[in-house]
Amino acid sequence: MIHIQQHKTVPHLPQRTLLESIEDQKIVVQFHCREGFCGACRTKLRSGEVEYTSFPLAYIDDDEILPCCCYPLSDIEIELA
Amino acid sequence: MKYTTFNQVNNNALIEPMFFGNPVNVARYDQQKHQIFEKLIEKQISFFWRPEEVDVSKDRVDFQKLSDSEKHIFISNLKYQTLLDSIQGRSPNIAFLPIISLPELETWVETWSFFETIHSRSYTHILRNLFGDPSSIFNDIVDNQEIKKRASDISQYYDDLIFAVQLWQTLGEGQHTVNGKVHNITMRELKKKLFLCMNSVNALEAIRFYVSFACTFAFAERELMEGNSKIIRLIARDENLHLTSTQHIINLWAKGKDDPEMAEIAEECKEQATEIFLNAVRQEKEWATYLFQQGSMIGLNKEILCQYVEFIANHRMSAIGLGQPFDVKSNPLPWMNNYLNSDNVQVAPQESEISSYLVGQIDSEVNADDFGDFDL
Repeated sequence: MIHIQQHKTVPHLPQRTLLESIEDQKIVVQFHCREGFCGACRTKLRSGEVEYTSFPLAYIDDDEILPCCCYPLSDIEIELA
Repeated sequence: MKYTTFNQVNNNALIEPMFFGNPVNVARYDQQKHQIFEKLIEKQISFFWRPEEVDVSKDRVDFQKLSDSEKHIFISNLKYQTLLDSIQGRSPNIAFLPIISLPELETWVETWSFFETIHSRSYTHILRNLFGDPSSIFNDIVDNQEIKKRASDISQYYDDLIFAVQLWQTLGEGQHTVNGKVHNITMRELKKKLFLCMNSVNALEAIRFYVSFACTFAFAERELMEGNSKIIRLIARDENLHLTSTQHIINLWAKGKDDPEMAEIAEECKEQATEIFLNAVRQEKEWATYLFQQGSMIGLNKEILCQYVEFIANHRMSAIGLGQPFDVKSNPLPWMNNYLNSDNVQVAPQESEISSYLVGQIDSEVNADDFGDFDL
């Protein structure tokens, strides 16, 4: 499950990226490239673990993730920008 | 320190700082101090495109249908982008290459600059299609006050760094008098100039293009000037990658992951860095005012464009630790995302050189049973 702070908790959809799973619930997330190189979807990961489907090129801080190119490995808690 | 094109000191590039260490000698990429630059090079090369691949012939007909105020918006934006890429096609090379100490960063800067020259060539491609002789457009770039104002603001930081580095290379540290003017050259001052210059480049890549991008894509939303919009999409994708690289450089410094002195400078010059960014935001808003002075265009006006600049600026500034100074929470131009999405840039693999199409296409593994059907 994906807990989004100040939003609701949404399920992660199989074979989809974290970004797609969140968008599926009609929650607006910033995005541009959807390929991990622009950093528009930069999001804080409060707890849990994610795995990248492709190398995240954009600059992210140690506590941040790029939802456009990763999926959760466990229940996670995130904070949208 | 005198520049040498092949530094004979047998140094270890893995312990050099990004800038102002030993000059690079062997261009080797098997090992990297900062792997990110090698990754950026690979990504950028996979984005390779040629302006001539994009058919802009229909734009000529569309252009005739535009109102005078829309023509002004379209042409002014092209002029401004031509200026930006004229500067970016040469300046990172001239300013940064002489002081870079890592092979992967050196090659990244060269790759980056090369792509800016593709952008410059694409503006000629667009303009030559619209006008038999585009000379008057190009000439106006160095006459137009609105454009000149921006040009001097952008080039000033580059020029300042380049001149100081030249003095340092020829005369070393110390006080040097050139044409009656005293210049105090110390490593600390050089690094400060580098820091400010990198922040100015970062602001350029981060927001200076976005007013014109928004106008171009607003035309495309009305199915006008679509050839041009296709080219600008490719340019926007490249610029996003360039921005990523300057964000990495600034953050590597600020977080003390490179040269410790640069971490001090980042702290010391934070206010100046913020001012550079805010100044770029102000100029972009002024540019929006200039664009719409003869009337707005369908789907876009000055106010919404200024909000978009603030929205983008918030995001870009927070990426380099400068906070979010503007009070814009949601994206005022959500449809822009469709044009900045790299999936929508180009799809047919045979028409472009996307990475997945080029990499690992040859299966070199041959097993004995692959010949099972053969009879001699």
